[in-house]
Amino acid sequence: MRIVIMGCGRVGAQIAGLLEGEDHDITILDIDAYSFRRLPPDFNGTALLGNGIDEDVLKRAGIEEADVFVAMTQGDNRNVMAAQIAKHIFNVPRVISRIYDPLRQELYDTLGIEAFSPTTIFAELVRDKLKS
Amino acid sequence: MYIIIVGGGRVGYYLARALLNEGHEILIVEQNAHFCDTINEEMGSICVRGDGCEAATLSEVGTGRADMLVAVTGDDADNMVACQVAKHKFNVPRTIARIRNPKNEMLFKKLGIDVTVSATNIIMEAIEKEVPTHPLTHLLTRSDNGAGNCGDKNPPRLKDHW
Repeated sequence: MRIVIMGCGRVGAQIAGLLEGEDHDITILDIDAYSFRRLPPDFNGTALLGNGIDEDVLKRAGIEEADVFVAMTQGDNRNVMAAQIAKHIFNVPRVISRIYDPLRQELYDTLGIEAFSPTTIFAELVRDKLKS
Repeated sequence: MYIIIVGGGRVGYYLARALLNEGHEILIVEQNAHFCDTINEEMGSICVRGDGCEAATLSEVGTGRADMLVAVTGDDADNMVACQVAKHKFNVPRTIARIRNPKNEMLFKKLGIDVTVSATNIIMEAIEKEVPTHPLTHLLTRSDNGAGNCGDKNPPRLKDHW
């Protein structure tokens, strides 16, 4: 599958590494070239400098042929905006976005973005750990 | 009308002033404490400090009864989310978003945001109106004969000219 990832932070870089190992075609975007240091040394995908909320940058990243778009920056609103561009302008079949704010996550989940909130997930994880 | 303005920067500030003068009920949501204080000192307590993209903040300021929400922060993504939360969580009838990147206009329309305002587009339209797209075309040469006749006591009759 062709996968475009926006945001090369710890999570984005790790996803890129994991998925590339599974033979996917990966393009990862970040606005800071220094972030690409986080990619595994044997990364064979494309690292592209640019802002994912800009349609032209997404086109350069090959969004038109992408099967999956993943928004993994620190900013909820940036993630949601890029995800909606991918979904509504470029008709990417699967769009996944991280949204820290649980209320926003719920809203965008109902609006057709596969959104998950690390806040909720980690809180539940810690609670479950304490239970066992 | 009850109008909520998200973003208390310059655009939000002057917009609030103008709308207050027209007798509307205005509330500004602004994250910066300093901006909030200035607005509250000058216009009365109409500014709430908080994140206008957060449903919790919007609920606190009574977005459910708002007639309109105007998002005028300097960030397109923030304006988009504020309008979408207002529309989908609080059923605000009209949402207006300021956009920086004119290319976002189509996306915002698709997402159901009622009005988008882009300074770039407005200035472009003004330029297009002012500057003709075709160069000036030469129609005829005006003869200098009679050019000074305007104030003459005995203006020449037409037939003298022809």
